[in-house]
Amino acid sequence: MNFIFTEEQMQFKDAIKSFLIDECSPKSIREGWDTKKSFNPDRWKGLFELGVLNSNLPEDKGGLGMDQVTLALMVEEMGYAGLPEPVAEQTFLVNDLISLLPKDIGKAIEETYDAGAKYISLAHPLAPNPLFIADSAGLILFDDSQCKFIAKEDLNFEIIASNDPSREIYKINSTNNVISSAENFEELNSAVSARGALMTAALLIGLAQKMIDLSSAYVLDRTQFGKPIGSFQAVKHMLADVAVKIEFAKPAVYRAAYSLSENNPKSALHCAHAKLMCAQAAELACKNSIQAHGAMGYTWEMDLHIYMRKAWSMMACWGNEDRQQDIIFKTLSSTSEELGVLYTF
Amino acid sequence: MKIKFTKEENTFRREVRSWLESHVPKKPLLSLDTKEGFEQHREWERTLNQGNWAMVTWPKEYGGRGLDLIQWLIFEEEYYRAEAPTRVNQNGVFLLGPTLMEFGTHEQKSKFLNAMATGDHIWAQGWSEPGAGSDMAAIRTTAVLEGDHYKINGQKTWSSRATYADWTFGLFRTDLESERHRGLSFILVPLDLPGITVRPIPQLDGEPGFAEIYFDDVEVPVENLLGGDGDGWKIAMATAGFERGLMLRSPARFQQTAAKLMELYLAKQDHCSPMIQAKIVEAWAQSESYALSIYHTASKMLAGGSIGSESSLGKIFWSELDHMMHQTALKILGASAELSQESQDDAAKWIKGFMFSYAGPIYAGTNEIQKNIIAERLLGLPK
Ligand SMILES: Cc1cc2nc3c(=O)[nH]c(=O)nc-3n(C[C@H](O)[C@H](O)[C@H](O)COP(=O)(O)OP(=O)(O)OC[C@H]3O[C@@H](n4cnc5c(N)ncnc54)[C@H](O)[C@@H]3O)c2cc1C
Repeated sequence: MNFIFTEEQMQFKDAIKSFLIDECSPKSIREGWDTKKSFNPDRWKGLFELGVLNSNLPEDKGGLGMDQVTLALMVEEMGYAGLPEPVAEQTFLVNDLISLLPKDIGKAIEETYDAGAKYISLAHPLAPNPLFIADSAGLILFDDSQCKFIAKEDLNFEIIASNDPSREIYKINSTNNVISSAENFEELNSAVSARGALMTAALLIGLAQKMIDLSSAYVLDRTQFGKPIGSFQAVKHMLADVAVKIEFAKPAVYRAAYSLSENNPKSALHCAHAKLMCAQAAELACKNSIQAHGAMGYTWEMDLHIYMRKAWSMMACWGNEDRQQDIIFKTLSSTSEELGVLYTF
Repeated sequence: MKIKFTKEENTFRREVRSWLESHVPKKPLLSLDTKEGFEQHREWERTLNQGNWAMVTWPKEYGGRGLDLIQWLIFEEEYYRAEAPTRVNQNGVFLLGPTLMEFGTHEQKSKFLNAMATGDHIWAQGWSEPGAGSDMAAIRTTAVLEGDHYKINGQKTWSSRATYADWTFGLFRTDLESERHRGLSFILVPLDLPGITVRPIPQLDGEPGFAEIYFDDVEVPVENLLGGDGDGWKIAMATAGFERGLMLRSPARFQQTAAKLMELYLAKQDHCSPMIQAKIVEAWAQSESYALSIYHTASKMLAGGSIGSESSLGKIFWSELDHMMHQTALKILGASAELSQESQDDAAKWIKGFMFSYAGPIYAGTNEIQKNIIAERLLGLPK
């Protein structure tokens, strides 16, 4: 048992962190909002050059063969920065599924997949409105029984408004020239659902951390009654409650990622666990952060809501808290002998 | 990163399991808050020690096995799985033990650690006083150096196990001119000295689980000072730091409760509201998270890291979790949740646990004090 990160894993995390500090400031995110163009091609190119976009592709497909734990650490940073581009989706969902996808789809993707230059979007009943279709090369579309690939020129789509202006989402009206497959659909569907839960969990924990950092800084700065509001115990305790939630959600993310990397048969349960814990942490982070900011927190001007909006979307997509509870309950009640002290690892 | 047990760890687990299977008393011991039950639990400490299981992380010379924290966690998992008796000496082995290891002289270590392991010395903690609860720096009990001994006067209170324990450790004011954190010393006191009166205090369950300790010109040899005169606060903080954060409540305890709760639910689900499901899931999810976090922390420690105020996060988490789980059990039990005599569904046990779960947010520093610590030391907010 050695539940710590390797130096290499920390280097990847630090590298993307410092890239995002420079390239993904709240100001640059707001520029995307104002120009209605949240997909920033320069930032995307930068992330490609950093090796992030194809990091987890197999080595024979031009990637680094990165494991899911390292990826989760990086996705956490993407959450922390509120990164608008769909890097988490591309890596955690699309790249990670390539080996599982039916051959004909895999081939079609590879043909259009000029890694770094193009993006492949994905839609699923749990996250039905695909992102950034306009900047994509095509769409992987899951429905209730099939997984399809549709090249962009064969898609009829329209943009719809998200409550998070950083998320340019679409409605798909019709599709032509579909390459579809129902073979191994069950396997594929559970793989993508688990990854979706874990990806949103990792984003949420980064977002929760950002909110509490912003709030801690704010309450140190703002004074009332002649002292910083951060010296009032009611304020301290609100933020401490969030710190507790974050602390106990993080290891669930790392364990779930590790389970995926080991093909652990319980990885779906572990991903649901991670999403549940992270959604709860983020929910409290939103509530208590806005409260600690007072009316400033309720304004468009304050940056806090950049991260709150993303968190609300990430809570809703890929299964909300209740759905994860259902998954966990079903698993536990069907294998109750495997619950408890001896079955954590 | 490898979140999996090694072969050696699994072998160790099997060794613990088979020893416990053949040694854990078949019939539950009497409550350790009764005189007879206390002695039964002491006897169990002796048995544990004969198998070299008193504290697996201690060096061999003190009755341990020189193992690491991961193995200690495995030991604990097996211990709870086997439903082995409560450690009557947990104040000793989990709290004073590591403190002695860090601050004790060679003589103190060999004298106290061995007697602790054998169950000859069962320890109580003497921090709280009537005027010093959350505000521990307000301690007023004095220990005045007179030649080769300290003369102690004053009163400690809420001292768990003190009713039947042999020794207590705690903080005493050795510099009478001093204020607050300064001038306090960490002293080890045998409870059978002349001048000591122990007055049991019945707890919520009616049993004398803690006690007041009165000191009236009690003479304690100067060798019983741990660390330097005046270093008490620093040493007490170490006792309350990482080791305590991790050792006071190992995850197995809560995972075991979560598993029992699931069992209870499955047996009674036809009689309870579907709303309970969400609580069952929370119990599993949170106890699982607690375990993951502790293994993560233990791994960081083994790699040379250190943990300070982070232990406050854990204290809040497990105490709230424990309360939630017991509350849920009582909901499942419905009207049987008032039965305090033996019944089919173990209602009495759940109720006892339920009442005790109210103490979790109070002892070892209240959760409000822990939140102050988190805000000030981890989030950097002003005092
Ligand atoms: C079951 C049990 C076993 C115990 N065992 C031992 C033992 O073995 N040895 C020992 O020495 N002690 C023991 N204690 C005592 C325990 O450490 C104290 O109860 C605890 O430190 C709180 O002190 P108090 O009871 O005086 O409460 P108080 O300090 O009076 O606190 C009462 C309430 O006020 C709040 N409060 C106080 N100060 C602040 C503040 N600054 N900010 C916010 N809120 C505040 C507290 O959080 C609490 O909610 C035990 C207690 C229990 C319940």
